[in-house]
Amino acid sequence: MRPPPKSWPPTKGSEPLPNAPRIAPPVSAARPAGKLRGARALSGPLPWLLPALIMLGLFYLYPIAEALRLAFTDARLFDQATEPSLDSIRRVSQSAALPVILQNTLVYTVASVLGQLGLGMAIAILVVRAERARLRGTMALRTLVLAAWVIPAIANGVIWQLLFSEAPFGAINSALRMVGFAPVAWLSDPSNAMLSAVIATIWQGTAYSMILLYAALKSIDPALNEAAAIDNATGFERFWFITLPHLRAALLVNAILILIMTLNMFDTILSLTGGGPGRATEVLSLFAYNTVFQSFELGRGAVLSILLLIISLTLTAAMVVFLPRERK
Amino acid sequence: MTFRAIPAAFALLATTAPVWAEDLITRNRVGPADAPNALTFRLTAFDLYSADPATAAHFGDLFTDFILAHPGWRIDTQLQTGAIAQEQARIIEQTRAGRGPDCAMIDSSQLATFKEAGLLAPMTPFFTQEQIDDLFPFVREGVTDANGDIAALWWFTDLRVLYRDVTLVPEPPQTWADLQQAAEVVAAQGLEGILFNAGRDEASAFDWLAHFWAQGGELVDDTGRPVFFEGENREKFLSAVAFFADLVESGAAPRRVTALSSYDDLLASAVAGSTGMFIGGNWMYNQIQITMPPEQAANWAVSELPGPTPEQRATGTGGWTIAALTDDPAKTEICAGIAQLYAGPGNAFQGLLPTSVSLFEEFETFAGPEFDVFVSALQNGRARPSVPIYPEISNQIQILLGNVLSGSMTAEAALDEAAAEVMAAYERL
Repeated sequence: MRPPPKSWPPTKGSEPLPNAPRIAPPVSAARPAGKLRGARALSGPLPWLLPALIMLGLFYLYPIAEALRLAFTDARLFDQATEPSLDSIRRVSQSAALPVILQNTLVYTVASVLGQLGLGMAIAILVVRAERARLRGTMALRTLVLAAWVIPAIANGVIWQLLFSEAPFGAINSALRMVGFAPVAWLSDPSNAMLSAVIATIWQGTAYSMILLYAALKSIDPALNEAAAIDNATGFERFWFITLPHLRAALLVNAILILIMTLNMFDTILSLTGGGPGRATEVLSLFAYNTVFQSFELGRGAVLSILLLIISLTLTAAMVVFLPRERK
Repeated sequence: MTFRAIPAAFALLATTAPVWAEDLITRNRVGPADAPNALTFRLTAFDLYSADPATAAHFGDLFTDFILAHPGWRIDTQLQTGAIAQEQARIIEQTRAGRGPDCAMIDSSQLATFKEAGLLAPMTPFFTQEQIDDLFPFVREGVTDANGDIAALWWFTDLRVLYRDVTLVPEPPQTWADLQQAAEVVAAQGLEGILFNAGRDEASAFDWLAHFWAQGGELVDDTGRPVFFEGENREKFLSAVAFFADLVESGAAPRRVTALSSYDDLLASAVAGSTGMFIGGNWMYNQIQITMPPEQAANWAVSELPGPTPEQRATGTGGWTIAALTDDPAKTEICAGIAQLYAGPGNAFQGLLPTSVSLFEEFETFAGPEFDVFVSALQNGRARPSVPIYPEISNQIQILLGNVLSGSMTAEAALDEAAAEVMAAYERL
């Protein structure tokens, strides 16, 4: 049995509220069931989410679907009319370069992510402690670190190329010579070249990491540290038992974001070493770029992009498992 | 002037005023904005939009004269960035999608790819047979398509030469052995003996290829199949690699050449006085005159690249072309006109090497002694093979040079790996 229609305007008990205007009930109340369902759908979250879904579909899902389609063809940049084929996947999997590229990607990504996390945390702690101690110049320090972040990655590579230059007038080597050290083959030695690429990436990415961890550090209740200090906890103990557990979520989110950014990073390496000497610094994203824009192999480039996507998603999923869950 | 003539003069002024009152050269247009016919032209930033005011002004004048001679036309200009491979790939993509420019500057190293894709409109009707015959043979071969048509105008060329500081290396080395010996002498004085590009860039592969070609080596056969890794070509290839490797191993060249991929780095070392010789492009002669004090610039001389023997010489010749990517003959004609504007007076102003003998004789600019060296070296000029597999061959040579010169791989193993990658790509073509 349908409940009787509620009175309108609102009543106190059975009596209308004093001074309430006598107006007609809302139109929806008089609508048939079909229109009611439509109205409910429109009043739900869908209309609000639709623009975002359309944008995501157009600019994220469609390119992924297109890359997936191309991966199953042997398309070239100027010859895309091809039949479905596993040729690109076969060629990528049989490429003698792939193991080297994957190894480079692993070394570069792990070293860069750890470096950005560690240095970002160190600077964030330094800034927070300096602020608590009301030291002057903390704002300048934050600005200085952030300056590296706003520099385009290509320019970052060029700047570090000048610094690492092994010419007699190269900046870092000249400084080393002045203090009595031998110059270092920063870019021409294959193992040093990877280290140089990692340093350039850490230098730029640390700011992002610092900002996230700085915000997380500011949200830790100072009373916890004060209480621990009263209990004679050492600085390391306070960091290990108070700061670190409270930063767990921020650290994991930070690590995930940095991981994805680093895996996709190719422009810094492109302008710093071009992937050389040989393939010493060629990572997966740069390999995909070179495959499409140097060799014009669209199908192979799509396979490499999908491989990069799978690696990113797998590592992200693995890290999400360790994210702290909300207690019910 | 009669009273009757005065209104006539005002009337003439009134008709011409809109033309000269309007700025005919803007950042994205040449010609009146309301011209009924428009041609899109994608160009590099080194001439009309050069950062050098004198160059930009000169090309501005040339384009103004051109557009006034073609009433009813407007050129919508689009700039290319310095990322050449990516820009050229973008033009291919856009043209295939029907959104490409009508006319574009195409790097000569990519011309074969455009021809293979069938994107270029024949320009033959817009050149006389005399003009075509006057082109250097490697240029004519490069711009001719499978139907025998002129697919583009190669408007300037360049070549690789040896620069040396005559106070350190008085005589030009004639052979590889001469070069190594001279470089070792310079290195013994605490300087860098010789520099060359051997990093990950097309410049590295192309500069090195001169030494392979000097021995008569061939990258591909008549059908376009890669053959550089087999038979006699293999020996010549390994010999040219060994020449560079010996330079590095002996200390004649620093190991840092594996990190060099820009001619600017070579010039910087020359200006700093830290190197005795370097392998560079002909255009660097002007840069040396501009960047060095006159007394220092006077110490730098240019000569042909040495070969394994004095008689075996070669040099890589590159440059840029202008081609039409439209089906409209009227637009193709305008594009051909622009190309000729660059090839003649444009080159003369910039000192870029023309691609035909008559232009060398026509302009005073090319009367300097350095041009005698360049024209002589051009006789041994070798263009990149006009085949679509070339970009992959170049890519693999860059990787090979880095691996061998850094000591990561032997030349034989690196060549086998390069051959496998190139042939896998070739099979797909």
